[in-house]
Amino acid sequence: MTQAPAFETDFWKDANLRKVWDEIVPGEPRKTIPYKLTLEAIQLYCRSVGEDHPLYFDEAYAKTTSYGGLIAPPSIHILLMFACTPTDDWMRTPGTINAGQSWSYNKPARPGDAITLQARALDKFIKRERLFVVHDNVFFNQHGDVICSGRGQTIRPA
Amino acid sequence: MSTSFENLAVGDTINGPKFDVSRESIRLFCDGSLDYNPLHLDDDYMKNSFGKTNFGGIIMHGMNNFGLITRMLTDWAYPAGAIQRRLETRWLKPVKPGDTITPVGVVKSKQSTQKSRWVLIDVLVRNQRDEHVAAGEAMVEFPLSGSTVA
Repeated sequence: MTQAPAFETDFWKDANLRKVWDEIVPGEPRKTIPYKLTLEAIQLYCRSVGEDHPLYFDEAYAKTTSYGGLIAPPSIHILLMFACTPTDDWMRTPGTINAGQSWSYNKPARPGDAITLQARALDKFIKRERLFVVHDNVFFNQHGDVICSGRGQTIRPA
Repeated sequence: MSTSFENLAVGDTINGPKFDVSRESIRLFCDGSLDYNPLHLDDDYMKNSFGKTNFGGIIMHGMNNFGLITRMLTDWAYPAGAIQRRLETRWLKPVKPGDTITPVGVVKSKQSTQKSRWVLIDVLVRNQRDEHVAAGEAMVEFPLSGSTVA
């Protein structure tokens, strides 16, 4: 599995290559990149929201639970979304505003998982002069299990 | 008394952790989430208006609310052997450096299905002025004893 060389933190880079609202085709699959989820990435995400549960930090404890080992918190899809998004994708367009999300959880993600994302815009509409896109996302692990699936809405920069 | 499906009642509350929002916490969330949108980084960029809205400076990621609500729900569910199965949220107000936010959950209903048991929870995040900054609904599964969790 190929891994992106290093995560590009400059969201202006390749901005000229990204689709604007007019060009987004609902139903068309987005190009995504596979991502190896590391323990370090899980724990950095955990620290950013104050997560300190031993299921994410203490392997000896986690092995005694029904999970059988360390897991990531359900909300790890927040990280996976950007980890699996290439630099020329419109998810990274500066000024993209998140208008709401709903997520369903199946299997926990675990350190070492090889994550893939299937994603597309499902719908787009205009409401009170604002340009909305409805996102449809499903994350899988290396066994082909669904980790979680989610629908989100963003307001696109005009 | 530990939480169980049987002893939960509609109206029971779940108190979440207080979270102090600062430029540093927002920056750490950029690193944790890989979301480096300039909305959360660049004060000069935030002098612009977004449609009819001018935020006047950087704002916290909406998904930071989502992560904090998740932390509240899982810290509550794990000891009961329960599993967070769904979370839906919408953002009501921007959150800025200097704000303190606190999530809370209220049990809305309980339901048994053919193979499991479910609790619906209204969730809300308030800031220090008691304004609602995010709201939504969660669904937590309380598996029947003997069924597998993960």
